[in-house]
Amino acid sequence: MRAFFPLLRREIGFYFRTSIAYVVGVFFLLITGFSFWFLAVRLSQQAMDGDIAHIFFTSFWFWLSMLIVTPLLTMRLFAEENRMGTIETLMTAPVTENEVVLAKFTSAYLVFLLLWLPTLAYPLLGKACGGQFPVPPLSLVASSQLGVALIGAFFLSVGLLCSILTRHQVVAAMVCLAVLGLWLSSSLITIQFQLEAAEPLAHFIAAPRHMRDFATGILDSRTIVWYFSATVLLLFTATRILEAHRLR
Amino acid sequence: MPLSNDILIRVNNLTRRFARCEALAAVSFEAVRGEIIGLLGPNGSGKTTTLRILSGYLAPTCGEVEMAGMDITAHSLDVRKKIGYLPESVPLYPEMKVEEYLLFRGRIKGLKKTRLFSRLRDVVDQCGLGEVLHRTIGNLSRGFRQRTGLADCLIHEPEILLLDEPLVGLDAAQTHLIRELLLDLREGRTLLFSTHMLCEAERLSNRVLILNGGRTAALDAPDALLRAARRLQADIQAPLGDVKNALESLEGGREARLSEKDDGWTRLSLPADGAPLPAGLEEWAARRQWPLRNLAYDAPTFDELFLRLTTLPPKVRNPKRRKSP
Repeated sequence: MRAFFPLLRREIGFYFRTSIAYVVGVFFLLITGFSFWFLAVRLSQQAMDGDIAHIFFTSFWFWLSMLIVTPLLTMRLFAEENRMGTIETLMTAPVTENEVVLAKFTSAYLVFLLLWLPTLAYPLLGKACGGQFPVPPLSLVASSQLGVALIGAFFLSVGLLCSILTRHQVVAAMVCLAVLGLWLSSSLITIQFQLEAAEPLAHFIAAPRHMRDFATGILDSRTIVWYFSATVLLLFTATRILEAHRLR
Repeated sequence: MPLSNDILIRVNNLTRRFARCEALAAVSFEAVRGEIIGLLGPNGSGKTTTLRILSGYLAPTCGEVEMAGMDITAHSLDVRKKIGYLPESVPLYPEMKVEEYLLFRGRIKGLKKTRLFSRLRDVVDQCGLGEVLHRTIGNLSRGFRQRTGLADCLIHEPEILLLDEPLVGLDAAQTHLIRELLLDLREGRTLLFSTHMLCEAERLSNRVLILNGGRTAALDAPDALLRAARRLQADIQAPLGDVKNALESLEGGREARLSEKDDGWTRLSLPADGAPLPAGLEEWAARRQWPLRNLAYDAPTFDELFLRLTTLPPKVRNPKRRKSP
């Protein structure tokens, strides 16, 4: 893993040098900030079922931000290298496919986690601004953030895989959006089309259900193992695809 | 006879097939330390594919490639430490500064801190990058981008340099600078570069490998190829059959080429090496009372020779992929 850190440093540097991190950050904080403010106002006016963390992490706005931020962070990872031809100089340097895939994924993941960092202060900011809602306990915030971290890793690995398959960033982003959209609505699809045999599977992989559990403080080891292994599997597939490019 | 550890590139029956065609077919050659080999050929002849395979970017379909004594497939990572590869389009990260880019490339090539900075200074001096060291790559001219790519190739002091069209798009001064640099770089290294600039290949290379349709059309020193292509020619006023019968008594006659001209004369062409002197040919014709005209040496230029060698049938299509009628 000798080349991992120089590669990681370059990848993270790219996000900030090209302003992608700032643009995505502003967009993300606007959506999540607006969503939290809206919830805080409603909770101050009327009692709602569940506390603010639970409602926030299961809201439409939460999933919208996840769906949009993922392709924005991952679409360029390989598509840009493929389009510019820099993949040729990169892969003829003494680096392994594992190092390249892992460095690119880690860079996107760190930026993703960095985006979520300010949201930890939302409840305190809401209270400071006069919000009339109970501050969620630390354990609930931690389990919710763990859910974000696990689901985020899975989403980003899907985005990375989409990026490795094309040389056009827009195509990578659209494919990633379509795959994640279908993934999120898998439960709805099985019900709508009466796919009874697929219902248990759709229920097992349903990210909204997992996030609801995390946001209510339920830590199911099966869910944690599922996201961890799905992410590893997708990254492993990405390294095999990168290797297979040499034999194409 | 070169020592075995002096042979840095050994290619044996290298073949590469793509979905619709055979880009390389049974190409074989060796290159020793200190040698510059020019890779020539028309567009689509397999130059870039050869360099990509030798750099480890593409895998060969069959055949063996040994770089610095190691098999390219089995020891890909170790081989990549020994080579510097510059692709044709000089792909660089446009958002990075030159210094930043070279340091990044040095780090992923495994250079430790002290050596990295000393090598950076060396390659910046060698490639004349001092004035653009702190400039963003995206704002550089083609020439400086080329030099940055070359500096990247050199930063880890590779034994083998593979350069795809290193002289393309450069002005006269930059071409001169890169040419001088390549000549300096040959010391202790093997350099394989592709080009369409035949005069540069002739000037720089110890040997040239000419590819046509993925096959080896010629492999030798430019001088040797030109010598072999030099022929003694004359028109003889005699029927072709008679000239053919009389060739046995002519020195070098076995390798003669005959062709009938429209006006009844016969064109005789002999390899210059081993052919009689013009006086000898005149005497041979005079003995048979055959008038001669246009007696002269045909010495093609390197460009003419290249054209002759590369106007052969196009590349072989992959028969497996053909649709049945």
